[in-house]
Amino acid sequence: MGIQTLRRNISPILLTLGSLFFVAVFIYFFYTSPATQIGPEQPIPFSHAVHSGVKQIQCRFCHPYVDYSNHPGLPPVEKCLYCHKYIIANHPWIKKEHMYFNTNTPTPWVEINYVAEHVLFNHQRHIRSDIVCEQCHGRVETRHRLDKKIWRMGICYECHKAKGANLDCWLACHS
Amino acid sequence: MDRRTFLKIVGMGSVSLAASCSPPDKTLYSLVQAPDDMVTGKASWYASTCRECPAGCGILAKNREGRVVKVEGNPLHPINKGKLCMRGQAALQGIYNPDRIKTPLLKEKDGWRPVSFSEAEALLQRKATHAAKTGPGKIGMLTEIVGETLLKLFTESLAHWKSQRPMIFEPFAYESLKTANQKVFGIEGMVSYRLEDADVLLSLGADFLDTWLSPVEYAWKFKAMHALNNGKKGVFIHVSPYQSLTGANADQWLACNPGSEAAVAFGLIREILKLGRASRLPRALRFKIENTARFYTREKVSELSGIPPNLYEQLIHRLIRADTPLILGTGTGATGPNTLQSNIAVNYLNLLLDSKLSLFNFDERHRIGLAAIRSEVLEFFKNLDKNSVELLLLNNVNPVYALPSGSGIRKALERDSLFVVAFSSFMDETAELADLVFPARLPLEAWDEYGGKNGVVSTLQPAMGRLTGAPHLGDVFLRAAFGQNGPTDNYKTYLVSGLVAKGRIKDDRSWIRTIQRGGVFEPWAPASQKRRSIPQSAPRSMNKLSDPFTSGLSFIALPSIRFFDGRGANRPWLCEVPDPVSRVAWQTPVLVHPKTAEMHGLRQEDVVRIQSQWGQLHAPVYITESIIAGTLAMAFGQGHTSYGRYAKGVGVNPGDILTADLESISGGPLFAVGEVTVSKSGRVMKLARMYGSRTQQGRKFALSVSLAELNKGKSTEKSGLTMEDFPITLPLRAGYDKKRDFYPPVDYENYRWSMVVDLDKCIGCAACSAACYAENNIGIVGEDRVIDGREMTWLSVERYLDPQQGEKITFLPMLCQHCTNAPCESVCPVYAPHHSKEGINNQIYNRCIGTRFCSQNCPYKVRRFNWFSWNWPKPMNLQLNPDVTVRSKGVMEKCSFCIQRIKAAHTHAKNEKRAIRDGEVIPACVQTCPTSALTFGNLKDDNSRISKLAQTPRAYQIMGYLNTKPAVIYLKKVRQEI
Repeated sequence: MGIQTLRRNISPILLTLGSLFFVAVFIYFFYTSPATQIGPEQPIPFSHAVHSGVKQIQCRFCHPYVDYSNHPGLPPVEKCLYCHKYIIANHPWIKKEHMYFNTNTPTPWVEINYVAEHVLFNHQRHIRSDIVCEQCHGRVETRHRLDKKIWRMGICYECHKAKGANLDCWLACHS
Repeated sequence: MDRRTFLKIVGMGSVSLAASCSPPDKTLYSLVQAPDDMVTGKASWYASTCRECPAGCGILAKNREGRVVKVEGNPLHPINKGKLCMRGQAALQGIYNPDRIKTPLLKEKDGWRPVSFSEAEALLQRKATHAAKTGPGKIGMLTEIVGETLLKLFTESLAHWKSQRPMIFEPFAYESLKTANQKVFGIEGMVSYRLEDADVLLSLGADFLDTWLSPVEYAWKFKAMHALNNGKKGVFIHVSPYQSLTGANADQWLACNPGSEAAVAFGLIREILKLGRASRLPRALRFKIENTARFYTREKVSELSGIPPNLYEQLIHRLIRADTPLILGTGTGATGPNTLQSNIAVNYLNLLLDSKLSLFNFDERHRIGLAAIRSEVLEFFKNLDKNSVELLLLNNVNPVYALPSGSGIRKALERDSLFVVAFSSFMDETAELADLVFPARLPLEAWDEYGGKNGVVSTLQPAMGRLTGAPHLGDVFLRAAFGQNGPTDNYKTYLVSGLVAKGRIKDDRSWIRTIQRGGVFEPWAPASQKRRSIPQSAPRSMNKLSDPFTSGLSFIALPSIRFFDGRGANRPWLCEVPDPVSRVAWQTPVLVHPKTAEMHGLRQEDVVRIQSQWGQLHAPVYITESIIAGTLAMAFGQGHTSYGRYAKGVGVNPGDILTADLESISGGPLFAVGEVTVSKSGRVMKLARMYGSRTQQGRKFALSVSLAELNKGKSTEKSGLTMEDFPITLPLRAGYDKKRDFYPPVDYENYRWSMVVDLDKCIGCAACSAACYAENNIGIVGEDRVIDGREMTWLSVERYLDPQQGEKITFLPMLCQHCTNAPCESVCPVYAPHHSKEGINNQIYNRCIGTRFCSQNCPYKVRRFNWFSWNWPKPMNLQLNPDVTVRSKGVMEKCSFCIQRIKAAHTHAKNEKRAIRDGEVIPACVQTCPTSALTFGNLKDDNSRISKLAQTPRAYQIMGYLNTKPAVIYLKKVRQEI
């Protein structure tokens, strides 16, 4: 095979290389680019960066049960309106929030923290053991939209082992 | 395949693979407004009252995220003291029943048309107003027994519509007992009994552990007198044609011919009179009684009843020697002729034995005493046509099912000019005949009040968000009858102001305190309740005894501990938990004595045709010694032709062959008929039975000890290796023995969870089993799978018969034994059964690969394999306990000692920086046990209750000789001869 053959077939070769390149670019942008890491779109583009970062609202204001229940709790719609009745009350997204309140509709937030159904994570135990929120959830005050995260057993196990916490199956997490 | 197709398929495959990799996002709904008393992840408890039967036990409803997931007894409540039966547990399956009607249904030519609640209310109002205008008495109402307040509202509404007060219909209304009380004591209603203070208890059929008056209350009272106490225990003798759960718990069950209970009672009266103990009775009365009783010599009684003379002799001696004897009358149903005479005789017998009647509580009468007697109910239906009643209101009653077909109910309801409104949440046999089915709010969703006994105010409050738009029945009546001019604008205000007016609560603030406690429980007896003096003359009906059924075959319909009068048949837990005595689930077998079976050539599981003068039925044969020869019996409650997927066409209704005739004097129904014929149909039906063997096959599972032997107190130290002499080995470090043990010793950290089961207190009622289903999301497998032996129950109350005397029954609650040397743990290839540092045998569902080796190696056979993924038809899934994993197909599961409750106790104790206290962890089964037969605790704590119980001489371990070191310690049943 000589240079002649290459030259004769230059267009199919370029076409193949070109398509390979485009496929690679597509795959990069579709799956792995940083822009895909922003978490799912929420019904109202609530920003943790604004509330927790700029406005310095404590986590527990919106997630109040975190130190006495398994679940941290989600803020009810009325809680958003405590402030947003006065602050940017006419913003289109806040109007949507008002609509939820006025029509008695629960906000359909998209879940981002996934724990397997056969696992029961107990928030209060961790908070009361002086594990701060950031240790697991990262710096939410820097993010507008939070990432989707599927929690795996490894992270639980590593930490429990390091801290000498309960490693029993049922007594710890499963039941 | 050509290249092109190949590429197409590969291309499509990879695209779908890429698309399917990430699961779809889930939605988390936030509340619009957060209620103060709801913390997600934490339960809120609401006190209420159980309305599954007329007893009126107090309950606490556990609410998680707005839905009730469990009900438990209210410990403050005077009736049930924190305990609950299986029917109470299954109340949840009423609210979450998939066949519950969500909107009113109006009958039209081409079927049911759903209408809105306001439309239905308007229609009701129109019909009622029209009927009231036509003339007086044009509206009739039949209601189940309801609280005083609601009854008052019904009465006022009907009076407003110029009609009579409502008729209270309960299929089990104890007519003969009521009439006997009226004739002997001159009182109206149903006395309650101080069972706990008796030393000898004789029941002539009263099945007070199954259904009679108030079963949970009498279960704890019974064990208060019958449990072992300082080397003594009370004696309980049951005389009845069949052995109900109550009879199975007697020290001696004396089988008698149906209808001969009266002869026994009069025979006993004769013996007492012979001793000259009746000096306090007026002479005329005494003479009269003596006159009737003198015919019943010992020989005569033995002959009529079929009780062996020696046993009858012993019964007499026991009764004469007793300090505080108590005799109870006949059962919930009437088992033959003479029930009224039996109850009259029983009342006199009590009077002769204790002229002060100190064990009778005349003040705290059972509310069921208000129910109309059957003859009045039949009269009511006859009068519908005669008085050309235009509107009939039925509140949660099912007379079409509960009354024999000859009663003419169907015809009365089908009359064209009668508009029938059924306030029913299920399409049962009666609702099917109605013109408008109007589902009202169910008790766990409503404000109300129901006092099971006089003097008790027991409140109901909504314990959950509403699943349907159904209004409260009280509100419907207030609006329909009074419109804008009602006494109050809603039922809740009506209720509170009514209680204030009666002086039971002071104001709105005390109302709040009342609903928090579940009621007003302070003793309160209005003066009018005092007993009048005893009538001087004996009732004439007393001596009109007809012969008991002694010739031919007779048939009895038994009230069922599971379905009561049939209202429980659509709760799958109640179908799946087997009958405690026959251990058959889902089906309705006919109980046949071995001798009867031999005589008619019947074998177990043969389907027979039973024919009476009034009808016929087909049912499978169950051969048992729990019934007297010559009598057939069958439990009431199943065989519905309608009433939802779990009830329709399941089992058989014994009412099909009962007579519509009534007992002539008391006007009560006859649950027994004579002269039935039985013939084989040629078919065979496999029984859905939940036992491997009737007897223990000579092995030692359910042990008993005689009282005399126990009091001798000579227990020798055992030290062998066989079944006979293997010592009790506690599942602790101390139980390690180098000579016996292969595995190294285990040290537990702080706790070693363990349970003690007192077989002497266990009555076998299976409330624990139902509570376990509710707490642990256990799947319902249905009849076919039970026949395959694939039931999922974690706690099964086994029943063992004595090989020589089949009527001597021992119940044995069998659950995972949480062994220290657990055989299941050592055979699992993937370590799915894991031994916890607190001694619990964990089953890690997500590790399990379903080899089932563990189940094979478990000597107790308590592990259950999920052959299928069970489904919970909507909205039954709302009942699932959010703290317990729902297991799926291919996974092994078993009792966890309610690990979720242990974890909750840990959390609580850790927050308060202390150890878990004794009694702080209460598994669901322990919580509900009506007789407190189960105790749970920490065996490592020497001062815990279970450590002390494990040291008592009755303690043993089941198959301890396998050296499994089980953590469930059993206490032997104590037997005594009468």
